[in-house]
Amino acid sequence: MRIILFSWEYPPRIIGKLAEYVSALASQLVRNKVDTHVVTYHDSLTGVVSEGNGVKVARVANPVRTHISVLTWVLTLNQEVERTAANVYYQAEKRISLIDVFDWHFIPAAVTLKNAFGVPFVYSVESLEDHRSPAPSSPFSMAIKSIEWLGFYEAAKITVKSEWMRGEIVRIHNVPAEKIRVVHIDSNSGVKDVLALYKAVAAGGLNSE
Amino acid sequence: MKSTLSVMMFSWEFPPRVIGGISPHVYFLSKSLAKNGVKVYVVTCDFPGAPAHEVIDGVEVYRVDSYRNPSPDFATWVYLMNVNMQREAASLVAKLAGKIDVFHAHDWLVANAGIGLKHVFRKPLLVTMHSTEVGRREGVHTDTERMIHETEAWLTYEAWRVICCSEYMVSHVKWAFGLPSDKLVMVPNGVNTHVYERIEQEDLRLFRSKFALPEEKLVLFVGRLVYEKGAHVLINAIPKVLAKVNAKFVVVGSGYMKEQLSNIVKSMRLEHKVLFTGFLDEEALLKLQKCADVSVVPSLFEPFGIVALEAMAAKSPVAVSDTGGLSEIVEHDVSGVKVYPNNPDSLAWGITKVLSDEKFRSSIRENAYRRVQEKYDWDKIAQQTKLVYEAVLGEYSKSFWA
Repeated sequence: MRIILFSWEYPPRIIGKLAEYVSALASQLVRNKVDTHVVTYHDSLTGVVSEGNGVKVARVANPVRTHISVLTWVLTLNQEVERTAANVYYQAEKRISLIDVFDWHFIPAAVTLKNAFGVPFVYSVESLEDHRSPAPSSPFSMAIKSIEWLGFYEAAKITVKSEWMRGEIVRIHNVPAEKIRVVHIDSNSGVKDVLALYKAVAAGGLNSE
Repeated sequence: MKSTLSVMMFSWEFPPRVIGGISPHVYFLSKSLAKNGVKVYVVTCDFPGAPAHEVIDGVEVYRVDSYRNPSPDFATWVYLMNVNMQREAASLVAKLAGKIDVFHAHDWLVANAGIGLKHVFRKPLLVTMHSTEVGRREGVHTDTERMIHETEAWLTYEAWRVICCSEYMVSHVKWAFGLPSDKLVMVPNGVNTHVYERIEQEDLRLFRSKFALPEEKLVLFVGRLVYEKGAHVLINAIPKVLAKVNAKFVVVGSGYMKEQLSNIVKSMRLEHKVLFTGFLDEEALLKLQKCADVSVVPSLFEPFGIVALEAMAAKSPVAVSDTGGLSEIVEHDVSGVKVYPNNPDSLAWGITKVLSDEKFRSSIRENAYRRVQEKYDWDKIAQQTKLVYEAVLGEYSKSFWA
């Protein structure tokens, strides 16, 4: 199995809890013999780095340096994510089992790649705009919510870390509850759950191995 | 046996969605390319009442969800619209089993879609730069303007070739983004003379009387009422023209300067001599261009100057500022009059010269029409564009992407 993880934070760039979580998941996947690629952001281009734990990390920079909001910053970064993921795809002779996207930032890239290559994606939700934003109905937050919605709509499966979050996604975005799985990777059986989910998603994709 | 060349064009506007000059450009270019044996797919924004998919003279037009929620601002909307455009175009290319040879983007408004799909499908990207932010704003002053400028730089960097519609734009774009000369190519913008031939025989006296008195000469301005188009220069020239010739000034178009301009007209007590029509439909505009005794293009910044070309195709004499693409379109005293940009005295002189000499008027009119047919014919422009595609594909075939 070959997968790509998309995350806007990854060590050494740590913004919140997501960086450590994605890093821990990636190294456990490698231990389970999954060819694991991470596409993330870094301000200086380090290219594709094979780190000690076997995870292949590609860090992309934003081609547009000046921005007026995190939204425009994210939206011009997505093409670089696509370019990098496409490089992995072509180098692997088009055999990618799936993409796992952490939070909304790189949803547009995952959606494009799904529509272009038939590679399914999982949307792993860390937090929602409705909970983060002081004004969830402002045009700015609505735009982010529309990207979240696009992710829920186009994803093969959604993962969350709690039953509460599962309920919130159902409540806010009207997503069918059975599309959402609660996973914990801290517990011993955790990564097995994620692997089983990945296998099911990959089997349903057009590009399954 | 070589299969048909196919191109996917991205444009934020396509008829019936008409905001500026890109819409008619992409419309006529794609139709003329189709006539010259190129398979063309146009991916553009939706428009109320227009179908999501239609075929126009062989051109496949796809209209995508343009993100209709309220947006924080225009630039953010552009990037959000590109998310949808890219998604739908990706699925379209996949359905065609990747049978697209080149992607062709028009301006930064579709930069993300063009760049993303280039890398995803590993096909060459071309861009036509119709304008630049640094030109529109006379420099970059705010973060939004800098962001747009950098997006344009990114797009021209990613493009295999950058097409510009005038020699002026070639040198401007080269300077603005520091591009190598061999990346740039000039293919002029075109104009369709046939639409004017259609109304050649019509009696337009009644139509004209809605805009001007029979004894008044009709001076026409067509363009968005924004700073760079220079309508304010024309308004400042009006008293100087009226001192010599009796004329009516008809201003077609709208924009953020509209209220300001009509206030200036009021304060000059010229309401009876200036008519703001707002945005006119195509038919009325064609007729008005045919009726005009002089068409004025007083732009401060003009990458190409399609309005001047349309007036010339309508056999209306032109007075234009000697700037940008306008300088190349008009030959002074031969196919029109050129005046100093941003100079009401010079503009008044030019207008008066055209209006007061009937013989001169008909000579520049005939020369201009001939020039339009020789150089700005869409069929010829499509053939030139096709040659650019073929040259790029020749280079591409030797790359590791092929």
